[in-house]
Formats: sequence, structure tokens, C-alpha cells
Amino acid sequence: MSGRVLVVDDEVEMQRALRAGLGYHDFDVRAVGSGEEAVREAAAWRPDVILLDLGLPKKDGFAVLRELRPVTRAAVIVVSVMPGEKDKVRALDAGADDYVVKPFGTEELVARIRAVLRRQAAVPAGEPVIRTGDLEIDLATRRVTVNGRAVHLTPTEYELLRYLGLHAGKPVSHTTLLRQVWGDYAVGDNYNTRYVVAQIRKKLADDPANPRYIVNEPGVGYRLEA
Amino acid sequence: MTRRLAPYGVALGGAVAVTTAIGVIGLVGGLGAVPGLSALYLLLVLWLGARWGRGPAVAGSIAAFSLYDFFFVPPVGTFAVRGPAELLELVVLLAVALVTSQLAASQRRAQAAAESLAADSRALYSLATAMLRSQEVTDGLAMVSARAQELVGVDRFGVVAVDAGGLETLAGPVLGADDRKQAQWSFENGRPVGMTIKDGMVVLMKTHGGAGAGTAYMPLSGGVAVVGMDADAAGLDTLRMLAGLIGLADLLLDRRRAVVERERARGFEASDRLKAAILSSLSHELKSPIAALRAGLTALTAPRAGLGPEQRELLTDMDRQASRLDRMVGDMLDLSRLEAGMALDREAHSFADLVAGALQQVRGQTREREIGVRIPENLPAIEVDELQAGRLLTNLIENAVEWTPPHGAIEIGAAVRDGGLEAWVENDGPEIAPADLDRVFDTFWTRRSNGTGLGLAISRRVVEAHGGIIRAENRRRGPRFTFTLPLAPVPSRK
Repeated sequence: MSGRVLVVDDEVEMQRALRAGLGYHDFDVRAVGSGEEAVREAAAWRPDVILLDLGLPKKDGFAVLRELRPVTRAAVIVVSVMPGEKDKVRALDAGADDYVVKPFGTEELVARIRAVLRRQAAVPAGEPVIRTGDLEIDLATRRVTVNGRAVHLTPTEYELLRYLGLHAGKPVSHTTLLRQVWGDYAVGDNYNTRYVVAQIRKKLADDPANPRYIVNEPGVGYRLEA
Repeated sequence: MTRRLAPYGVALGGAVAVTTAIGVIGLVGGLGAVPGLSALYLLLVLWLGARWGRGPAVAGSIAAFSLYDFFFVPPVGTFAVRGPAELLELVVLLAVALVTSQLAASQRRAQAAAESLAADSRALYSLATAMLRSQEVTDGLAMVSARAQELVGVDRFGVVAVDAGGLETLAGPVLGADDRKQAQWSFENGRPVGMTIKDGMVVLMKTHGGAGAGTAYMPLSGGVAVVGMDADAAGLDTLRMLAGLIGLADLLLDRRRAVVERERARGFEASDRLKAAILSSLSHELKSPIAALRAGLTALTAPRAGLGPEQRELLTDMDRQASRLDRMVGDMLDLSRLEAGMALDREAHSFADLVAGALQQVRGQTREREIGVRIPENLPAIEVDELQAGRLLTNLIENAVEWTPPHGAIEIGAAVRDGGLEAWVENDGPEIAPADLDRVFDTFWTRRSNGTGLGLAISRRVVEAHGGIIRAENRRRGPRFTFTLPLAPVPSRK
């Protein structure tokens, strides 16, 4: 599998390294150094994935992210040197598909890019069943099974799992989950999501220390393994 | 002089006039009516007592009795007093004079007091409104001080603020060294010197300086009122007004304190933002070169890059060193963030979840060590910063993994103790030299040749930032690290 990757980073060394590294993995790569060029290139070249560094010198990365959305359907992977900062949550809530913390190795980056590409390819609208490993969520009948065995979830638990399932592979922030499952009023009360996720894990017999389905994204939220 | 004597003239004149009136009525209506008419004297004495007070009333009663005795009581023309009945009349007149004048006098005093109270209240009220309108607290205090210094017997009225920076004169004259010492003492001990306030009135107390001009100190919220006064000259009005003014000064100081605290909080916020900005740009500066290094090195390890196995191995080694550098930089930045005392992002978390998250992070590094988690099901939530607590746990687990021989065991446990969470990470392995049990948490102290000496130092900072303690001890099978974290207030779950 290959695809077009647009690298947005103001450092020439980084651009060169990624162009080479991703190129060796069969990606078609172009690199630009500013937000303006990124928006222009995204519209003209139609990349599949955009690697957007949040620390661009001139324009705030979030502003670029907002401008990118109307011109492209490419998956956006946000890159930042600040691990666990609020930036991650903000980026995800602003429409980024994933984030990678700098510094990273090429292998890790390639894995992330492939994951978002796979996800993009696997979103035929109206697909009635979400599958991840031996977990199945049947959206039509609201039936959840593990290995064919039915799991009884409360409506809240089901809604949360369904939302994670619809965005399988993508980290979803607490804020987004609270807004989607409970409503705007619940935003800020992250204890809700933690409590419900703990319940779901218990029912799915998922080990929190070594989860097969719902993975913690520290400081951000959760992700359902794709 | 004439002023003082005039009421006595009125009393005498009144007695004469009443006697004349009785005489005239007696001549017209017959002397038989006279004894009843003596009641007219009572009226006169009542009026004198009410209008002019005790002296004129007594004088009036004696004059009235004498005149009555002389003109109307047989033998007419003499002052002879015969029999107890006449004496009784004199006594009654005198009694009426005394009682009425007494009543009238207390009435007049009460009225005067009420008027003066009303005047005080009006003055305090207008001062308070002016004060509240003033934007600056010191303006209000200056008004209070100026008003106090107008009072009879008050020589000076100063207000000083007392805080960590020492004394600051907010109103009134600047204090001398002795005054400052006294004010400081009064504030620190919360005790007034030379005065108290009782029933809305200042009560002066003798200080060792003796009576007369002295200085009194009243501790207020965040400051002291310093009052220099002449105790002999100060009347009740002054003492009452002074109490009111001290109350106003107290209110103003309270307001000042609120303003100061608000500004200090704003300052902290600004400095937190500044620290965050500095640390974030520092992260960027330090990590960007490492990022370029790692991206370049790992790009070349791809088989398609066309390098031989030996060269690729070399690159992998270099990348491992770059990663190590990255971790060290990360540790240093974390440590400076903690040392800068930046605010924690505290929320209710399940300790079991945090442990699970940490184990998820170190997965792959644990190799053949067995990690057991012993956390009670019903453990209450803790209130911590998720990322910092995660850091604490991963550091302790990584440390344990490092010191556990292959196939050895690591145990993580927790329990509620003394209203907080007590948790521990212990591992099979060599014990820590007893002398080093405290030093393991020191920055840059490490037992390993290639350790950074930052992991446990960060752990200690994280625990302490949450108000907990951490300690190391040796157990039978190996070392144990025990730490405490605060429980969350019981969440209001619907």
C-alpha cells in the first residue's frame, strides 16, 4: 500500500529525512515549510495524509488545521514536541486524525500513517457491523458480542463503545466522548468517561493493564483498537 | 455670672407673683379659699424644676413656703411655723422641686446624648459612604485618619499595614522606631496595647508611660491602628467616635487585603504562563535537533536505503543513543516543570486505571519479570494530575524492572490509610544500601552507570507536588517504594 504524504515542517533537515524515510517505504512525499503552502498544496496535489507540525513559526498550527479541513479530505496527523500537552486534545477535537510526538522513529511514523490510511479505506458508510478482533458491535440491532458471546451494556456504555467503534483506531478525547454520549453539559467531568470505560472493560473482560479493545491515551482519552 | 443667677431671680419673682395672685384671689373670694390655692405653688415649682433645674426649683420652693407662711398662715406677718402640717407642706414643695428637676435633668441629658449619637452616626455614615466611593483604599484610610485627628483629645491616628514585607504606613503620620515595634508586637499577638473596644466605645488603659498623652495600638485585619491621645481631654463622644473610626479602618484594611490577594493571584497566573512559555520553547529548542537526528537515522535503516547489515546496526545503535538523549532531555524538562511549581491539572482518577495506563506504557520493556497488581476493587478515587501521576508510576515500575532479575516478581499495591491513598511498588532484587535509602530520591543520584538519576527525583517531586510523601525501604525480598496521594472528594454521581 502506498499513498501521497504531505509533510508540513519548517525544518529542512526534518523535511529531507522524512522525504527519504517515507520514500523508502513506498510513499509519494512532498514537503512544505509553511501553513500557506500546506493549504495550497493540499488543494492542488490532493495528498492522502498530511503530517502537520504544530510548531510552525509563523502561523499557529491550529489555524492551519482549520484552513485545511475545507480544502482536503486527507487524514491529518499532528506532530508536536510537547507530549501530553493540551495541544493533543485540542488538535483531535479540531479534526486531526492522530498525533505523533517528536522525536519519533520512521517505523513508528509509517505504522501510524498506514493505520490512518487503512481507516480511511475501511469507512464504507452504512456498514452495519464494527469488528475489532473478536469484538463485534452490530449497529442495527445494538448487539455487542465478544467471541460470539453476547455482552449486556447499559445505554450509556453502548453509546460510548459505539462512538469509539465508529472512530476505531483514532484517539478520541474525553471532551468529545462527553459531548457525544452525554451532551454539552457533561463536558469537564472526565470521571464519567473513566467510570463508564472501566465498566465496559469489566464486561468485555478486557484487562486494563493490557487492553485488547479500549486503549488509554494518557492525557487525551481513549482509542478502540482497529 | 448674671446668666447663672438669672434663674434664681425667675424663681424668686415667680414665688412673689404666685403669692400676689393668691392674695388677690383671697381678697376677692374670701380667705377661706386660700389653703386650696397653695397648690399653685406646686405648679410654680414643677415648672421651675423642669425648665431651670434643681437650684432654682429649691430656691423657688423655699421662697414660696416663706411667703405663704408670712402672708397667709396665722399668725399672719410672721415666719413662725406651727405644727407638722405646715412643715409637711414645705417638705412636699421641696420634694417636688427635687424630683421634677431630677427628671427634667435626666431627660435633658438623654436628649443631648441622643443628639450627639445622631451626630456621630451621621458623621460616620457620610465618612463611610465617601470611603466606599473612593477608588483607592488609602484615600479612604486618609479620610478616616483626618476625621479622627479632628476629635478632641486625639493627637494622631495612623494606620499601618503589616505583611511579610514589614510595616507600611497607609494613613496618618509615619511611625517612629518605637511605634513600629509596638505595632508589630500588637499585630503579631493579636492584642491591643493601651486600649480596648467595649460596647462600641474605646476604653483607654494605662500604659507604663502613665496617664496623659500616650499611644495606643489596635490590631486590625492585616494591619494596626495607632492612636496617639490625651486621655484627660478625650470625652465620651471622642471615645465612641474613635471606636467607629477604628471599625471603618478595619473594613478598609480588609478590602485592601482582598485587592492585594487578587493581584498576587493574577501575578502567579502570569508567571505560570511565562514559565509554561519558556519551558515549551525550551522543549522545542532541545527536542527539534533530536527529532531530525532520529528521523534521519531511522530513515537510513530501511532495507531499501541500500546499506549493509553492519552499517544498519551502527545506525540503530546511534538511534538508541538519540532516544536516550531524548529521554534525558524529557526528564530534565519534567523536573524543571515540577521545580518551577507549575499548577497541577488535578482530577478524580481511579488508581487502578492509572496503574493500568502505566503498565501499558512500559509494556515491552518488562521482559521476563512478572508484574502483580494488588489493588482492592473498592478503592476510592484519587485526585491527581493524570500525566504526572502516570509519570510517577512508570518511573517506579521502570526502576523496579531495572533491578529485578529475570523471572523475578514486581508487585504494585495500594490501600487507604489515614484518609489518603498509600501505594507501593516493590520488587525482588538486591537491597538498597541503608545509607542510600534517602539519597535515591536526590537529583542526579543513581545506582547505575548509565542512569540519569532523574527518574526517582521526578517521582519524589510529583508526590510532593500532590502533598504526599515517598520513601524507600528494604523488604525481605527486595526494595519497596511507598508513596501517598490524596483521595478525591466523593464525586457527586447521579
